[in-house]
Amino acid sequence: MAKLKVRLFPIQKRFPFIMFCMIMVVVTFISFILAIRLGSVDLNFETIGKVIVNKITGRNYYRVDWTEGIESIIWSIRIPRIFTAFVVGAGLTLCGILMQALTKNPLADPYILGISQGASAGAVLVIMYGVLSIFNGYSTMVGAFIGAVVSIILALKIATIRNKVTATQLVLAGIAVSALFSAITNYMIYHTRTGSDKVKTATYWLMGSLSGSSWEKLIYGCIAFIVCLIPILTLSKSLDVLMLGDDVAVTVGVNTDRLKLGIIIVATLLTGVIVSMSGTIGFVGLIIPHITRSVVGTKHSRLIPASVLVGGTFLVIADIISRTIAAPEELPIGVVSAFFGAPFFLYLIRKSHKQLGG
Amino acid sequence: MKLDVKDIKYSIESKLIVNGVSLGIEEGSFVGLVGPNGCGKSTLLKNIYKVYKPDSGAVFIDGEELAKMNSRETAKRMSVMQQENNVEFDMTVYDMVMIGRFAHQHMFKTDKIAEREIVISAIKEVGLEGYEDRSFLSLSGGEKQRTLVARALVQKASLIILDEPTNHLDIGYQYQIMNILKKQNLTVFSSIHDLNIASCYCDRVVFMKSGQIVGAGTPQEMFVPEKIKHLFGVDTKITQNPVTKKPNIIFIPSV
Repeated sequence: MAKLKVRLFPIQKRFPFIMFCMIMVVVTFISFILAIRLGSVDLNFETIGKVIVNKITGRNYYRVDWTEGIESIIWSIRIPRIFTAFVVGAGLTLCGILMQALTKNPLADPYILGISQGASAGAVLVIMYGVLSIFNGYSTMVGAFIGAVVSIILALKIATIRNKVTATQLVLAGIAVSALFSAITNYMIYHTRTGSDKVKTATYWLMGSLSGSSWEKLIYGCIAFIVCLIPILTLSKSLDVLMLGDDVAVTVGVNTDRLKLGIIIVATLLTGVIVSMSGTIGFVGLIIPHITRSVVGTKHSRLIPASVLVGGTFLVIADIISRTIAAPEELPIGVVSAFFGAPFFLYLIRKSHKQLGG
Repeated sequence: MKLDVKDIKYSIESKLIVNGVSLGIEEGSFVGLVGPNGCGKSTLLKNIYKVYKPDSGAVFIDGEELAKMNSRETAKRMSVMQQENNVEFDMTVYDMVMIGRFAHQHMFKTDKIAEREIVISAIKEVGLEGYEDRSFLSLSGGEKQRTLVARALVQKASLIILDEPTNHLDIGYQYQIMNILKKQNLTVFSSIHDLNIASCYCDRVVFMKSGQIVGAGTPQEMFVPEKIKHLFGVDTKITQNPVTKKPNIIFIPSV
């Protein structure tokens, strides 16, 4: 059994890899359709299709036989929200891959390292106290970015001993950094808000939510994601080499200082943008790259496109669950991702111990 | 001079590990670096292959200063083989060897067929034919080490630095790896633990102690009882290997 599994996965040849990506595209598409349909108000496929066609063509191609409320649920609430879920999931996955290449450690991810919480604290600081208002509409993103930079520096400084990041150090550093920034975030919220509002706001920033999605935020998110994805794809070979250790990377001709600086900038920028869109959603960057790696292998030229698809779809599905499982109440999406992620995290810790022991 | 090291000093946490090392290696020679544990061999080599940046001093390769060369250019001139490092992420033998081609590849102008041939022939050279699709982590110690030799060979650099290349390997693999390297038309600079291997393969050996070079010469000149006693504190008797005609070091325990 074990031998057979080794032969099938990870995929070696080009054709099965493309097949896998095609299947993922289909799964993504199906998850989108289901996500538009399901929720506190159930809609039928016919209306959804008609509304989308009318909106895209910009005229009443189909006769309007639905209320304005339905139209607004489909076009102004659910569709931007689903695309946001996809971009957030894909972005968090990309951040996870980058953090793992940077630390050579499969446990690294923006949530585990406390970078998402740092970004949250930065965003909350901007919103609650109005600092950085010179950046206008972008101030939340800028705040989140600065928070991410501060926390990544802190986390890596604590986790690195003699140029190496061990699994234990990494997890401990992450616990400390995320506890610190969660505390700061909570303090700021409870200091400025009153009544039930403060609990709601704190939940939003610390457990994540896609309920504030809009077309405008989505477009910012898409642009940031694409701006980060393209340079990283061109660096995929360097990332492959970096995974083997800094020494090896230097000796085969990678400029590691420049590459690592690039990774940190992209990862913090992207984390900042994502957190400002959705709050802190954990574990996506941890689970998705790991699962995808076992299917398509460790080469980044394959891993990145495949896991971006898987990660995006995962969050669309997680969002469906968060909207339907406790309907009409909405569960924070971070709770759903943690339900999948935390057991997986335990499994990975266990595995990394075995490797160290053996 | 192929490799010229000029007065390298390097300290870790204000402790001087490499204390003013200068040495020269001639084109085409096989030079061994010998010394007790903790004498700074590995640190010196890391200063040469740019993982560490020396506090003072400089390294020249074909007369050009290494510090002024970019990463790719350095990799085309000098390849490095280290001890097998702990890799957390698996890949195939073929992909692992292909990593060595990094400096030669550019995004849109890489001849994929030629690259493939170079990699396949290096895998054959180290005797791992048929292992291309095997996962690296599933290999034995000796197979992993040979994969790393192949990775260093495909870099097509004329100088190769070996940092403890045969540690943890049994005697058969140690000789096998040295044989592969000796066959290549390369300048080799290697740290070596086993004195008889050094004697057998090296044109010159360099003795290092407490961060300094304490002597250099041919194996015949260097492997004499007083010098070995001074370096390792062990008594020896030197005979001649009847086949290679090289010095054969016999250790005499002081019981």
